[in-house]
Amino acid sequence: MGSPIRGFAIVSALALAPLAAWAALRLGYDPVRGASEAPLIHREGGYLGSEACRTCHGDHHATWERTFHRTMTQLPDARTVVGLFDGRSVAYGGSSARVFEQDGRYLMDLPAAGGGRREAEVALAVGSRRYQQYFERVPRGGGFAFVRLPILWHIEARRWLHLNTVFLNPDSDDWDEHRADWNSNCIFCHNTGPEPRMENYRDPSRRGVESFQSEVAELGIACEACHGPGADHAEEQRDPLRRYSGLLTGARDPLIVQPTRLDQERAVGVCGQCHGQRLPEPISRVEAWLTTGPTYRSGERLLEHVAPVTAATPVRGGADPDLFRLRFWGDGTPRLTAYEYQGVTDSACYTKGSLTCGSCHTMHSARPGDELGNLTPPMRGNAACLQCHGELGRDLAAHTHHGPDSSGSQCMECHMPRVVYGVVEIHRSHRIEIPDAAGDAEAGRPNACTLCHLDQSPRWAARETARLWNRTPREPASRADHAPLDLPDSVASVLAGDAVQRAVWAKAMGRADAAVKAEDKAFLRLHLAITLGDGYPSIRWIAQRSLTALEAELSLGLGPLLSSIDHQEGQEARRASLFAVLKALAALAPGKLSPPLAASFARGDFTLDLEAVIRLTDLQGERSISIGE
Amino acid sequence: MNDLPTRRALVFGWFLLAVCLPLGMTLEALHALKLPVYLDSTLRRELWTLAHAHGTLLGILCLSFAAVGERSIPDAGARASTSRWLRTGALLMPLGFFGGGVLNYEGDPSLAILLVPLGGLCLLAALVRAGFAAARAG
Repeated sequence: MGSPIRGFAIVSALALAPLAAWAALRLGYDPVRGASEAPLIHREGGYLGSEACRTCHGDHHATWERTFHRTMTQLPDARTVVGLFDGRSVAYGGSSARVFEQDGRYLMDLPAAGGGRREAEVALAVGSRRYQQYFERVPRGGGFAFVRLPILWHIEARRWLHLNTVFLNPDSDDWDEHRADWNSNCIFCHNTGPEPRMENYRDPSRRGVESFQSEVAELGIACEACHGPGADHAEEQRDPLRRYSGLLTGARDPLIVQPTRLDQERAVGVCGQCHGQRLPEPISRVEAWLTTGPTYRSGERLLEHVAPVTAATPVRGGADPDLFRLRFWGDGTPRLTAYEYQGVTDSACYTKGSLTCGSCHTMHSARPGDELGNLTPPMRGNAACLQCHGELGRDLAAHTHHGPDSSGSQCMECHMPRVVYGVVEIHRSHRIEIPDAAGDAEAGRPNACTLCHLDQSPRWAARETARLWNRTPREPASRADHAPLDLPDSVASVLAGDAVQRAVWAKAMGRADAAVKAEDKAFLRLHLAITLGDGYPSIRWIAQRSLTALEAELSLGLGPLLSSIDHQEGQEARRASLFAVLKALAALAPGKLSPPLAASFARGDFTLDLEAVIRLTDLQGERSISIGE
Repeated sequence: MNDLPTRRALVFGWFLLAVCLPLGMTLEALHALKLPVYLDSTLRRELWTLAHAHGTLLGILCLSFAAVGERSIPDAGARASTSRWLRTGALLMPLGFFGGGVLNYEGDPSLAILLVPLGGLCLLAALVRAGFAAARAG
């Protein structure tokens, strides 16, 4: 072989691999560029998208990818749409919708507002854990709006439901009652780097016809929602020398936010930007919100950008003056989800301790399953509190005065009780506190003691807490709902309470770990049966689920009857269901359940004094409670 | 086999295989036991898999050299330097991959990874030296 040829062959051989790699990179699919070219996506403000983060942070990307945050907002396709668009009809309030799929498009045939029918195509899917809502794209002015469609798919129940029966509202036949624009509502907290880009903000006649050119940095809640825009960080860290120098010296890149290394106030602000209902501060910033988007970026002081909504927040613009007050219990404790920030920052663990959201929650658990609540198994139990209150763990029963294995010795049952409503579920309060039986009764707030001791009254709870924990005895002066103080709190509240109270208690009455034996729960079943006739469909559904839970705990043979009930059905049908369950209970309970608690208006033959029940339900009053989910 | 360079490659190749083949079983065991320290770091899994694969293949390359080196590279000096470069590269490369996955960061291997390009250069030197020597002999 001649020397020039040999040299050429060697050089060619050495250059072949780099050339092939270069060609592949030039011609192949680039996931980062692909993500940025998707519809609705912008790259303003230094956002880069989570695909770019995956390159270096593959493990953190993978753990985030499992969370419900990622799938919170999605474009509709076969992978993302979880509802069954199989041609079925969904009936509600005398009308019905039909859901079907055609040529890869997801469609709804709906009753039109002015009569007749109309067809809507799903353009956006929002929601990932409990239910998925659907939005159609409506042209408006020079722009568009994504408008919410009236039925949703409940993921856990695997069924279609009308929005009126899911949100905490009284019955209504108006199919469009919950019609709302994604662009000025959901966009803020269900996406990353939202920019609503309302075009006609300054037009005084825009109400109802707001036009948008909305874009987001990423659909769903992605890396940069918590870590801040990442373009500068990614650019800087491309330099391996800079990267290794940082890694070896421990120097942190100031261009990216690491929430676990922020001071307490800034750390809770990261989650609080969404998990804390708020208004722009000053309020004049609302224009920025609706055009270029919220001004807060992760790592900043949240309170320099927003004012968290509290019971005392004034209501502007002629809206219901109780709009904000009703979102809190009488003592100021938030009673809705998405107020966790207010709860945490109002807790002594925060004001006097070092609590942050990251003390218990993680977005990056390696264990599949932990994405439910973003909690690792230890953080679901007492270990969460014992991180700081370790001394109590050495003799837990001495502190709790309950059996060490009972729910009464679970820190959260007393200090973070389930008194918060959201998405047809009852959640833990994030205002960590010491139960106050008398104060709770006076504030119309469910009390941790009676939420478990379901057969006991607020008076009993006040006496027992004073006795067991050596507190100054103080009995409640009256109940906020004006029901008698000696009634079991559960019965009085589920009948006479306001809508959130009734929902919370209807849920608690079905708990298996209550301090009432399964065979002594006849009075709970009877009053849950009454609640099947509640004027709020979502409360009826919670009651139905609680009755089903009690049936699972101790079967009377009511299962088929309970599963045949539809909480969406009209007044006559649900009245019939209610009486069918009461009749079945009277027939099936004797011999299987102990006679019901006399103090609960129940008789020994498992029937109820309905007149007494109605006297209590009349205390609910005429005022309907709409909490703006 | 009396030729020292090829004998050294033979012995080295067997020992390299003896270390790197069981490494594969170790990795399997780490999977079987679901040890987070291994499974939760994508980069560590990749680097240790590369250490296993490179060590095994380079061990086989050393054995191949031992089998044909004396016949295909008559020049003793060229054979000796090829054997030296080959053994050095075959040692550094899997070692670098393995070490890169020890105390590694999420997106970057530890500094032990620097042994990999060094090993690569040694292997390249061995291949070029062997190629030239074989061509000259042919």
